[in-house]
Formats: sequence, structure tokens, C-alpha cells
Amino acid sequence: MSDIAIPIRRPSTFARLFEAYGQEIVVLAAIVVLFAIVGMVNPRFLSDTNLTSIFSGNAYIAVAAIGMAMVIISGHIDVSVGSLIGVLATIAGTLAVSGYPIWVAWLVPVLVGIAINTCLGALIAYMRIPSIVATLGMLSILKGGLISATGGTWITGMPPGFFIAQARLFGIPSPVYFMVVLTILVALWMRYSATGRSIYAVGGNGEAARASGLNPERTCVLVFALHGFFAGIAALLFATQLQVIQSTVPPNLELTVITAAVIGGVSILGGTGTVIGSTLAAILFACIGSALIFLNVSAYWLRAVLGLLILATVLADMARRRRSFSP
Amino acid sequence: MIRKTLFAAAALAAMAGSAFAASAWTGGDDLPTNPLACDGTAGAAAAKPYDGGEPTGAPDRKAKKITVVDVPKLIGIGYFNATSKGIADAAKELGNVDAKTDGPTQANIDQQITFIDNYITSGVDGILFAANDPVAIAPVLKKALSKGINVVGYDANSQPDARQWFVNQAEFNGIAKAMVDNLAKEIGEEGAFAIVTSTFTTPNQARWIAEMAAYAEKCHPKMKWLETVEAQEDNVLSFNQATTLINKYGDELKGIFGMTSVATPASAEAVTQANKCGTIAVVGLATPNAMKPYVEKDCVKSVVLWNPVDLGYAAMQVLRAVADGDLKPGATSVKAGKLGELQVINGSEILLGAPFVFSKENIGQFDF
Repeated sequence: MSDIAIPIRRPSTFARLFEAYGQEIVVLAAIVVLFAIVGMVNPRFLSDTNLTSIFSGNAYIAVAAIGMAMVIISGHIDVSVGSLIGVLATIAGTLAVSGYPIWVAWLVPVLVGIAINTCLGALIAYMRIPSIVATLGMLSILKGGLISATGGTWITGMPPGFFIAQARLFGIPSPVYFMVVLTILVALWMRYSATGRSIYAVGGNGEAARASGLNPERTCVLVFALHGFFAGIAALLFATQLQVIQSTVPPNLELTVITAAVIGGVSILGGTGTVIGSTLAAILFACIGSALIFLNVSAYWLRAVLGLLILATVLADMARRRRSFSP
Repeated sequence: MIRKTLFAAAALAAMAGSAFAASAWTGGDDLPTNPLACDGTAGAAAAKPYDGGEPTGAPDRKAKKITVVDVPKLIGIGYFNATSKGIADAAKELGNVDAKTDGPTQANIDQQITFIDNYITSGVDGILFAANDPVAIAPVLKKALSKGINVVGYDANSQPDARQWFVNQAEFNGIAKAMVDNLAKEIGEEGAFAIVTSTFTTPNQARWIAEMAAYAEKCHPKMKWLETVEAQEDNVLSFNQATTLINKYGDELKGIFGMTSVATPASAEAVTQANKCGTIAVVGLATPNAMKPYVEKDCVKSVVLWNPVDLGYAAMQVLRAVADGDLKPGATSVKAGKLGELQVINGSEILLGAPFVFSKENIGQFDF
């Protein structure tokens, strides 16, 4: 039976690696090329302080993109994650200035993130609301609710121990550890555990997955709950990076997170991609943002370049699919 | 493919970038500028006829006790608590004014209109306002004028003919002068600096940057502008942009201008986290509460804005002068108690004066 599906040639190791991780390799190559070019133009780009800012500055986006990658791989989308991060950051800051112990201020937003997104996942899975509609609704609820509740007032005066994102270990800022460790754990879990594999199966073909004994509804709720957890961690990193919390929704954050997942090779149609790719893409964004300043290029180009990257990635994804589906 | 796209885009962008970097400072607009004199003499008032409104059938209120209500955008926030304090201070000093502040607890134009309408019905001699919407508030203010009530605005204007006078807290060229002078004082006449702004097309910021470039060229010609970066109104992005500037220019960078109340504290935070306090100066527009941590640690020396207590005080003094008949259409200045003589600009506006610079000595007195 396998004779029909799999071509009989034996591809080289590199070709097989590229087949499995093509987009990740392309993004990694883009990062290396960018470092080389900008480093030649201005060697300060490669100074340890700038490398530190590149890797830690976008770590919260990488962490949020882990959850987003899982959601998209499972065949859904979430456009409310930016608002959720804004709300959770505000909860963390409010608890910290109201005199609750710091661990409470860290833990509660993560739990709230899990709770909100579990409900969202249940709505999508059991009420059959398309995820774009459900999360668009959630976006409005969170955004409106946040502005009404805070009136846009900034939160300041958090106790010194609160700023987890400013902590350093061996000279490396803590957000980098969060980004690297979470990415590796999730990548391994999704590749080797049965539950992790089921996310790919459900996203690739929900009915086939159900026929083979998986429960797509339960997988959907689980994926959204995990996504809420990562949004909570991202919110903590976001909230503790500076001395003030803006208590509004960061502009276009959800788009940046979705873009990271897509450029990292997560197919917008579901079923394929890895969180390694989304994390690399988040690092690539930070590289591009920094490089634009080093090359004296208007930040407007960041948006244009990201747009180009999205189109190029989706086209490449389509081409790959056409190739693998054609007889 | 992606590498090629990226490279092509970067090359293209590099060309575009160098093309407009040759002109004045990036991020400024193309409108004509009107830089103030270097020594601080007031700018020439453009001759423009009075375009404010007139109350109909107002009684003679000269030196008589008057009741005044102040309806700000909203009550219960630090900024309008400060203007309200200024109004109360002026009323107390004048001795013949019974002033109170009342208004919505949210910046809501419908509620603000209801408040003003109720006070018109209950009968007051004067109304002070800071409009939530310049057009929507006009009818109710015109109604007040038609009942013979004196109407003066401050902080946020209405359509000119819906009120008599408006106290303008700061003009673009005044803010520009305060920003550039303070940075020059901190980094020297030959220092190099960068600007963190919201976007290159945000009207107020673009106007300020254009005026700053014009004023610097006139009064601090050797100061060196390096570049302007955009950071929207996002504090994490502002922080990242400021950090990248510090990484890029190293010791060459001596100062950063923050053009928004988000960019300024974020730039100060970037300087703090890079351990550059004292070597890189931050001067910017911001509210005192967001800047207190940095000013108190001596990382930031000058925060430019206006003093809302003075703004409220001036508004009350202007209202009294109008009620007394001392401030008439066509006047070029008005006496405003301890603030002295204030200048009339733009037909029916009164300029509060030079912007206020918050520093370590005074920032603790403000809570907004």
C-alpha cells in the first residue's frame, strides 16, 4: 500500500531535512544573511548589547507565537491574542501595585489567560462558531472592556521584584530563556507525544482524525487552553519589561504574532509547521526592526517587508502543497 | 527567494532613506515654520480679527460677585484636578468669584453637554470648559451665550464663535524652543541627538519637529540631528527603538527627544537599562507622573509640558476680565494676576506663555 503514496527515490539527508523544515531553514538563513550584511555596514549591529536587545526585545512575541502556531496548526485562528495580552498585563500590574504578593501578580494573569481561552476554545469546538468570528468577538470584548475598566490610565509604581523580564542570568535577559526553553519543550512535545501529534492530525484533516479515533473538539479546547497559557507568559514578559504598563491594547500585536507563525512556516490551512519556525520568525522581525534603524531606513519599510514575507511564504506553502498532492 | 526579496527591499529602502535624509529633520511637516527669537522675546502676534462669540443681553457684572462653573472634559483625574485647583486659587485671589468644578466622570461629550445645559438652567454668570468635542459642544455653548452667560474655554477648544475666548496652553514654536533650548543646555551646542516620535505623519508631532528644526537652525546651528525613528504610541516599541539608537550610535549619541508622552518615558527607560544615565540626556513631552521615577533618579532633567494649575488660573482670570468688560474684542493682551500680562493670538485666543519645564525641584508637586 505504501508503494502508491511514497515515491521510491531515496532523497539525501539534506533534501529530507529541507522537505521537513524548509521554511525554518529559510528563515534561519535570512537571519544569518541579515546579520552578515548589517554587521558589515555597521559592526555595532553585532555588539553584545544589540544582540541582547534583538533576542530579548521580541521574546514576548515569540512566546505568544508558540500558542498561535498551535492554534493555526490545529486548523483555527485567533485574532484576539493582542487584546488578551493587554488585559493580562494590566491584571498583573494592577495586582502588583495593589500590594498582592508578587507570585500572585505573576500567576493570576496566566490562570486568567487559560480560563478565557478555554471558554473561547469550547465556543469554537462545541458551539461550532468559526474561530475567526469567535475571536473577533473576543477581541472587541477585551479591548472595550479594558478601556472602560482602566480609562487608559497607566500603571506605575510596581514593586522592584515584579520586573521578571529585566532579570538576567549569566548576562542574558530572562525573556531569552523563556523563549528558548518553551520553544524547545513545545517542539519536542508536538513532535513526539501522541497528544502533540493529534494537533497536526486534527488540523490536517478533522474528519479523518475523528475516524481514526481522535476527538477534534477536545483537541481544540486543549490547544486554546495552552494558547491562553502562552499568552499569559507573553503578557508577563511584556508587562515587566518597562517601569510602566500602558493598560491599553498594544497596536497590531495580534497581527505581528500571526505573521510570526505564518512566516515561520505554519500553514494557514492547518496541519503543518513547527514552533521553532515561529520563534525564528519572531527573532527575524526583531532583526529587521533593528537593521532598519542601522541602515537608516524608515520604519514604514518594516510593514512593507513583512507584507512581502507573508505573501512569499504563503505562495511557497501553496507551491509545496501542489507538489505533494499531485500524482 | 525570501533572501532575495529581503535584500532587494533593503537596498531599495536604503536608497529611499538617503534621499529624504538630505532635507531638514525627518518627521517634520512641510508647513511654514515660525521660530521664536533665541533670547525668549515673545513671537509677533499675527493680526487676525476677533472671531469669538458675544453674549446677548449680558448684565453689567463689573466688580460684582459672579458664580462660575467649570466643566472640564472629565473630573477625577490628576490633570483636571490641577486645572480645577488653579481656578479655585484665582477665584480666591479675586475675592468676588464663586467658582466650582463639576463634570462627567468619563470624557463623554453627551454627558458634558448635559452638565452645561443644567448649569445654564440653574443660572450661572460664567462657564469655563475644556471641550470633549469642538463641534458637538458648540450648540450648548451658543445657548449659554444667548442667555447672557460669559463663556471661556481652556485646554481643548470649541468652534471659535461658540465661546468668547480660549486660553491656549502652548503654541508649537513655544514647545519647540523649550525642547531644543533644554537639550542644548544639557548636551552642549555641538551635541548629537536623535528623535523618537509616534509616526512621521502624526500632525502635532510633525509640527513640533518642523518647528524644532527651524529653531535649532536659527539658535543652535551646531547641534547635530542624527535621525528620527517612529514608535507609534507603543511603549515597548518606543523602548526597543530608543535602545537600538543607543546601540547604533554608541558614544556619539548625547541626547534623545521624546515627542510623545509614551516615547519620552520609554526612552528614559532605555537610557536607564543601558546604564547611560548622565551620558545620554532625554528631553521630551510627557506628563509628570510617568516621568517621576527617571527625574527623581537624575536620569532625566527636563520634562516639557505646560502647568495645568497655571492654565486653570489663567482661564479664571480671563473670565473675570471678560465679565468686568476689561477684555474686549480687539484687545492684544490681558492682565492675569500673578501670571502678568498674557498675549492675545489667533483672533480670540490667549496664550498661557512659555511652556513649563518639570524638573527635580518641582515635579513632586504635580499629580497627573
